[in-house]
Amino acid sequence: MAVTRETAATVKEIEQYKYGFVTDIESDKAPKGLSEDIIRFISAKKNEPDWMLEGRLKAYRHWLTQADEEPAWAKLHYPKIDYQDAYYYAAPKQAKLASLDEVDPKLLETYKKLGIPLLEQQMLAGVAVDAVFDSVSVATTYKKKLEEMGVIFMPISEAVHKHPELVKKYLGSVVPYTDNFFATLNAAVFTDGSFVYIPKGLRCPMELSTYFRINEKNTGQFERTLIIADEGSYVSYLEGCTAPQRDENQLHAAVVELVALDDAEIKYSTVQNWYPGDAQGKGGIYNFVTKRAACRGRNSKVMWTQVETGSAITWKYPSCILQGDNSTGEFYSVAITNNRQQADTGTKMIHLGRNTKSKIISKGISAGHADNTYRGLVRIGAKADNARNYTQCDSLLIGSTCGAHTVPYIETKNPTAHTEHEATTSKISEDQLFYCMQRGMTQEEAVSLIVNGFCKEVLQTLPMEFAVEAQKLVGISLEGSVG
Amino acid sequence: MKPAQRISGLMEHPFGADYARGTPAPADRALAAFREQARAVFEPQGLPGPRNESWRFTPLRTLAKVPFIPAAAADDVDVAAVPPQIAELPGAARIVLVNGILRADLSDTLDGVELSTTADRALLGHLASAASAPLAALNASFMSQTLSLRVSTRAAKTIHLISIAAAGSQPAAFHPRLLISVNKGASLTLVETHCGLPGQPTLANPVTEIDLAEGASLKRYVQVTEQPDSFHLAATGIALAARSRFEGFHMGLGGALVRQEVNAVMRGTGAALELNGAYALDGHSHHDFTTSIDHHVPGCASNQVFKGVVDGGSHGVYQGRIHVARDAQKTDARQLHKALFLGRGPQIDCKPELEIYADDVQCAHGAATGEIDANHLFYLAARGIDPATARMLLVEAFLADATGRITDENLRAAFTRDIQGWLSRRSLKAAA
Amino acid sequence: MALLEIKNLHVSVGNREILKGISLTLDGGEVHAIMGPNGTGKSTLSNVIAGRDGYDVTQGEVLLDGRDVFAMEADERARAGIFLAFQYPVEIPGVSTSSFLKTALNAKRRAEGKPEIDAMEFLKLVKSRTKALGMADDMIKRALNVGFSGGEKKRAEVLQMSLLEPRVAILDETDSGLDIDALKVVSDGVNALRRADRAFLVITHYQRLLDYIVPDHVHVLVNGRIAASGGKELALELEAEGYAKYQGAAA
Repeated sequence: MAVTRETAATVKEIEQYKYGFVTDIESDKAPKGLSEDIIRFISAKKNEPDWMLEGRLKAYRHWLTQADEEPAWAKLHYPKIDYQDAYYYAAPKQAKLASLDEVDPKLLETYKKLGIPLLEQQMLAGVAVDAVFDSVSVATTYKKKLEEMGVIFMPISEAVHKHPELVKKYLGSVVPYTDNFFATLNAAVFTDGSFVYIPKGLRCPMELSTYFRINEKNTGQFERTLIIADEGSYVSYLEGCTAPQRDENQLHAAVVELVALDDAEIKYSTVQNWYPGDAQGKGGIYNFVTKRAACRGRNSKVMWTQVETGSAITWKYPSCILQGDNSTGEFYSVAITNNRQQADTGTKMIHLGRNTKSKIISKGISAGHADNTYRGLVRIGAKADNARNYTQCDSLLIGSTCGAHTVPYIETKNPTAHTEHEATTSKISEDQLFYCMQRGMTQEEAVSLIVNGFCKEVLQTLPMEFAVEAQKLVGISLEGSVG
Repeated sequence: MKPAQRISGLMEHPFGADYARGTPAPADRALAAFREQARAVFEPQGLPGPRNESWRFTPLRTLAKVPFIPAAAADDVDVAAVPPQIAELPGAARIVLVNGILRADLSDTLDGVELSTTADRALLGHLASAASAPLAALNASFMSQTLSLRVSTRAAKTIHLISIAAAGSQPAAFHPRLLISVNKGASLTLVETHCGLPGQPTLANPVTEIDLAEGASLKRYVQVTEQPDSFHLAATGIALAARSRFEGFHMGLGGALVRQEVNAVMRGTGAALELNGAYALDGHSHHDFTTSIDHHVPGCASNQVFKGVVDGGSHGVYQGRIHVARDAQKTDARQLHKALFLGRGPQIDCKPELEIYADDVQCAHGAATGEIDANHLFYLAARGIDPATARMLLVEAFLADATGRITDENLRAAFTRDIQGWLSRRSLKAAA
Repeated sequence: MALLEIKNLHVSVGNREILKGISLTLDGGEVHAIMGPNGTGKSTLSNVIAGRDGYDVTQGEVLLDGRDVFAMEADERARAGIFLAFQYPVEIPGVSTSSFLKTALNAKRRAEGKPEIDAMEFLKLVKSRTKALGMADDMIKRALNVGFSGGEKKRAEVLQMSLLEPRVAILDETDSGLDIDALKVVSDGVNALRRADRAFLVITHYQRLLDYIVPDHVHVLVNGRIAASGGKELALELEAEGYAKYQGAAA
């Protein structure tokens, strides 16, 4: 697919990060810092039932014991985070809405600028969007249509009230509050996120999408997403993220839980484009995310695709627990780091059931002074007869001031399992660049074309609407990396 | 990594003050000081626990519970001869160590190679420092004898170093240090056999430091065939100067818990390193091969091929790290680990790691696990070969990818025979 | 005005002077052949004109339609109409030939102020050209040059030439690695592109290629200098007698 003209035009038109603007909107904030009171405040704001508050407090109390457990094993360097120096709740001030038409025009304008129209007449065909602005969901499109099919797609804060039985049953069942430092923090303070339930046997005809936006200064975003695909159902879910350009680092610690029951399939795609900080490494989002899928049912399938181009720090390992016999987990990743960005990302494929299969395709691109690490675990349990894993990790280095690292863990306890892992490292050769330029392409176009070729296997797994966007992003993220 | 106080969530172990008192301090005061410095490092950190990233697959809990005492050189054990199962290598000169101490009476005289029990201070602690590796710290803390080998010509004769572990009435441990320097343009082939006598468990904790000068060449083939209840924790540090060549082979066929750790640093352009290994494990044998190759300078090559077969309740570990420094352009570094399961019950853990800071490099790694291909078995059956023989042939062929890389023909044959021996003993057991 | 003018071109790599004063004038419709033994600067000449890094132009100039070529980056030169058919076309994994062609074509169209080519129109155009070159339809779906045979690579170069419609096409040892059938197909492709407003610079070691692409002028390049120029009969003479006579003269 041609990436070219539009990319070049976009590169010229925007300076660097086109989502770096701030929306000037009055917001309702909790006081700075983290305490039981703040958690009670968040819970009260959301009008939560007691069981939710209890769950939060339990997580918070556990988190307090974890001060020494903040993960330090990743190949990431950043100053110690002061968890008391952030706001844990910020919401645009607005009364409850009866319809989308009542959404504050400033918000509508914001999402329009981001390419996500929310008004009925402008909505993206075939894509239902939940827009999360700082700590709250501000709008969900195509609600009616989805309801008619039995699909539940709503902010999780709303699902707590409307579908408590589902939330109670599944929330924390894939990522328990004790899972890791950041997941524990999230369980205590999460503010909003999307909830999806696909009923038995339904192939959801629409892409479901959540668009996350951090706007407020010094605010952490802690969203929680829960997707349940009931027996025989299918859903494709997309997630996009941006934030304004600010000098301070901001924390994003999300948790995503996916549950696939018998014969169900979930396709989860992310284009992560949080503000990466400037060329000197000032500012940018700290992205500490726990994403995990439980392939509980027989023949269930989960496919993660991620295009990670943003954030100053990325710490993220979307994983699959392959419990059901014949279940399949796939992970396709493109991670691009430029300037002073650091990414430590990969996946875990835990094979428990028989005939489980996993596939990992990871493409890491490193430029500038950035470091890019693939870290992955493939674990084959003793009972996972005939399990299969194939892993391919390729790194591309652009320039000699960056780093590319591969740290796979492969643990096998079953003799009938087959695992295969390959990793390579390469660079964009002078010959390739010259060849492209001899055919009239600019250097930027040539880099974008070659890198898109390098990432092709991953990008082609994205839904159409995202693939084009992602291809452009690949080019833009590497702007100025050669030369 | 976790904060310091957690790493040191200290495991109880036998290498405390009593153990130290039992190891006589060397007469050389500088050496005694070297030991004290190492103890100052070892004592607060103790044995590495599972939270130490490099040791996550190799727990030392069982080892730590064995009441080891410092092994005696001659007092309560008597080794009159090299055990007969240690094959004589044709044309090789023998150096025999018992519990880490040189036994001149069992050793041959060497030609073209200088052997000394005086530590080569220019080398000691430089390529395996207590601060960087827990195994080196353990060794240096209780080091009894250092053995220095200096090669200044093209040594015609292969040296066969035989290290025999022999405990008395109590489990015993020893910590030999071997210092090898190969001078400019010189070369040597060294075979090491690490074995033990039946009896109480032993722990061999050898540390080897190898310095290869410009254009020097060393072939070092190591086989570890410890007793089934014995331990072996070995570390090797290698420095390669410009255009030097190192060819290493590590074989693991026996022992309760064996770790062979190799750290190599490419220090001069044009240096080349081959580091290969094979293992065949059964029972509850645990073998760990941990390698780290540092490409510090441009234009060097390193290649690793490790292959293993596992049966019973055994556990095979391969951890390989390749580090390419910022300016080490034109590096060619590869590693491959493949393991074959022969039954239900074993475990394989593998962590091949690339850490790359230069762009104009060729780096790759591969890893795979699986079982014997049923199609291959069928093909052999169709040619009239019985299943047991067929499996043996296929296992041998599988390991031959690694053993076949041994460039010395005689020694390749010798190592292949050892593997065949392991396989036939195993099939005898299966038949019984 | 001449189409391409090379004036007193001196080029060094490191401290070594490779081209020691080359002057050539190519007019529209002409085919010039440069012949010479190995290591005499033939590839340097093509690379310098196309703008590859690593060469120092110490003296002289190259003008395309009167414009200073050295003032342009490699991609600008390409868009201005200089096309280099590479001796060793590079492989680019993951980038399909069609997407590469489209990107290159659009880069050119953009420079000419034309809109991007419509997807259908592009496909039709490529199909007509591949057919003429006897190329399989699915070739454009394959990653650029990856796993292509020698003949396929050279055909792909000619396909690119035919789509990009250059002012000056430089063929660098296009015959290397080709059997006689492939050579004929490639040459037919090139001949079909001969036009009154286009010039060709054919660089070759052997006379063989010139049986198929018949030159108007032949130049002998020896030790960085043009040792002799003549008509197409000069090529035959070289084939028969070798370069020895010129090597002696130049030394």
